[in-house]
Amino acid sequence: MSAIVSVRELRKRYGEIQAVDGVSFEVQQGEVFALLGPNGAGKTTTVEILEGLRSADSGTAIVAGVDVAKDPAGVKERIGVQLQQSTFPENFLTKEIVDLFAIFYRRRVDAMALLRAVGLEDRAKQRSEKLSGGQRQRLSIAVAMVNEPQVLFLDEPTTGLDPQARRNLWELIRDIRKRGTTVFLTTHYLDEAEVLCDRVAIMDSGKIIALDSPRALITQLLGRGFSKPQLQQQANLEDVFLDLTGHELRED
Amino acid sequence: MSQILRYTGMLLRSYTRDRTALFFGFFFPLIFMGLFGILNFGATGNVNLGIDDEANNADSQRFVDAMKSVSTFKVSAGTRDDLTKRLTAGDLDIVLVIPANFRIAPVRGGADAPPTMTELTSAARPEQGVIGTAIITQIVDQISFAVTQTSPIVATKREEVAGRNLRYVDFLTPGIVGMTIMQLGIASVAFAFVVDRQRGVIRRILATPISRRNFLAAQVLERLILAVVQVLILIGVAVLAFKVVIVGSMLTLILVTIVGATVFLCIGFAVTGLVATENAAPPVTQLVTLPQMFLSGVFFSRDSVPAFLKPVADVLPLTYLNDALRSVAVNGAGLADILPQLAGLAVWIVVSFVLAFRLFRLD
Repeated sequence: MSAIVSVRELRKRYGEIQAVDGVSFEVQQGEVFALLGPNGAGKTTTVEILEGLRSADSGTAIVAGVDVAKDPAGVKERIGVQLQQSTFPENFLTKEIVDLFAIFYRRRVDAMALLRAVGLEDRAKQRSEKLSGGQRQRLSIAVAMVNEPQVLFLDEPTTGLDPQARRNLWELIRDIRKRGTTVFLTTHYLDEAEVLCDRVAIMDSGKIIALDSPRALITQLLGRGFSKPQLQQQANLEDVFLDLTGHELRED
Repeated sequence: MSQILRYTGMLLRSYTRDRTALFFGFFFPLIFMGLFGILNFGATGNVNLGIDDEANNADSQRFVDAMKSVSTFKVSAGTRDDLTKRLTAGDLDIVLVIPANFRIAPVRGGADAPPTMTELTSAARPEQGVIGTAIITQIVDQISFAVTQTSPIVATKREEVAGRNLRYVDFLTPGIVGMTIMQLGIASVAFAFVVDRQRGVIRRILATPISRRNFLAAQVLERLILAVVQVLILIGVAVLAFKVVIVGSMLTLILVTIVGATVFLCIGFAVTGLVATENAAPPVTQLVTLPQMFLSGVFFSRDSVPAFLKPVADVLPLTYLNDALRSVAVNGAGLADILPQLAGLAVWIVVSFVLAFRLFRLD
C-alpha cells in the first residue's frame, strides 16, 4: 500500500491560536482513516487545508499526488468532500443537485446511479430541502462522488443523525471503501471510529498525540496498566433502542 | 464557456421553482401596473386642454380642429386669464395660447420668425403635461411636414403616434419596467448571496474546482437573461391587457434593459459586500432602492420632485434608465436619441463595478 495523503509539519495560526501545530501523518490508499479529537483540536482546519480550502502557514500536504499549496484546484479535481455546516442551494431537485455538481467538475454523470448507490433513487424528483437529515448526508456523499474521487473527505458525517441513520451511513462508507476509495473522516463518536476505521489519529491542541489502528491503541492503553470497572453487560442502551425501534430507516 | 452555460441553465431551472422570486419578479410589477393603471384610467384617460385662439383665422381653426380630433384631449376655449385660473384650480392640464400671427405656411428664409405658441402646464398633474405636450408636438410636426412636403416616411410614422390615445398606463409601463430591472439587480443579488454565504452553500461550491470567475459569470448571466424575460413579459402584458403601445423598437428597449440590468447588478454586488447577515439585507437594499423609486420617475413625472432634490434625482441610475426606456417606449426614440442617458448609465457601470470589486466577497 502507498500513501495517498501525506502531511509534513503542517502549521496554521489564527492570531494568538496555533490551530495546527506541526502535524505529520500519512493515509494509505484504500483505508478508512479518522481524525479524532475534542472541539477546537484543529481537526477541521487540518482537513480544510487538505481540501484546498485554506492555506497552511508552513509545511507540506500532498493529496492524491498533488501539492495542495501549489495546486488547490488540482486537489479539488481529485477529491470528494462533505463539509461541516454546509448546505445545497435551494429550489433544486435531488437529482439536479447531483447534475449541478457534475457541472462544477465539468463532467456528465449518471445521477440516478449515484443516487441509487446512496439509496435515494426514490427521492430523485423531490426538492433537496425536503430531505431528512440522514438523507441529506447521503446526498452529500453522492455529490462528493460525482468526480470519482481518489479520497473522500467526510467532516463529522453522522453528527445529528438518529441511530438508524448513523448505522445506514456506516454501511455506505464501508461500501465506498470496498470500491477502493480512500475515506478520510473526522468524528466525535469514538464507537464510530472503532467500527469503521482502519487507523485513527487523535489530535489535541493542534498536535497529533496518537496514531494507530483502534485495536492497537486499546492494546497499548491496556498495556499501560489501564483498567476500568467491568460492568457485565451483554448489551447497551443503543442495542435496546434499536431492538425496540428496528434497524430500518425512519425518514419520512 | 460550456460550464458557464450549463450552470446558467441549471440556475434558470431552479428559478422557476422559487415562488418568492417569481412573485416579486413577475406578479408584483404586474399588480403595480394593474393597480395604478386602473386607478388612473378615468382620471388620466383625458388631457384637459384649454385653448385661447388669439388669431381666430382659418389656419388657427384648422389647428384647433386637429386638437379636437385627438380623443385624448378634452378641449375648451376661453381667454388666457380665464384659462390660467382654471389651470391653477386643477380643471385644466394644459393651456395653449395661439398667437395672433398664427398661420400655417412655410417660413420664408428666416425673414420673419415662426409664430410662437405659449403652452402652460399644471405642476399638479405632470403626466398629463408630458403626454399632452408630446401630442401637441406631434401635431405641429405633422402639419409642418404636410406644409413643407418633406420626409414622407417620418410623417407617416408620426401620424400613427398622434392618432393614438396616450394614457397614464403608457407613461407608467416604462417606469415599472425600470423599477423591475432595479429590483432584480439589487435584491436578487443581495438576498441570494447573503443567504447562500450564511448557509455555507458558497463554501461547498468553492470546494469544487469551478473557478470563482465562472461561478460569478453564470450568476450574472442568469440574471441578465431573467431581466430580459421579465421585461418581455411585462411589456407583453402591458400591450395585451392594458393596450399599451410601444412606439420605439423592442430591440432598443432590450438593449437598454441589458445596460440597466448590468448597472443594477454591479450595485447589487457592491451592496452585498456591505451586508453581513440575512437580517441586514432588507434595510440596506431598501435604502438604495426606495429613494430611486420615488425620485426617478417610476410612477410620476420627475417634474414633481422638489427643486432641492433635483440635482440628486437627475443623476440617479434609475433616472437614466427610466428616461431612456420612456423615450423609446413613448416617444419612439432611437439609440442616438438616448445617448446622454446611456452615457449616464455607462458612468454608473464603471463606478458600481469598482465598488463591487472592492466590497464584494464570495466567502
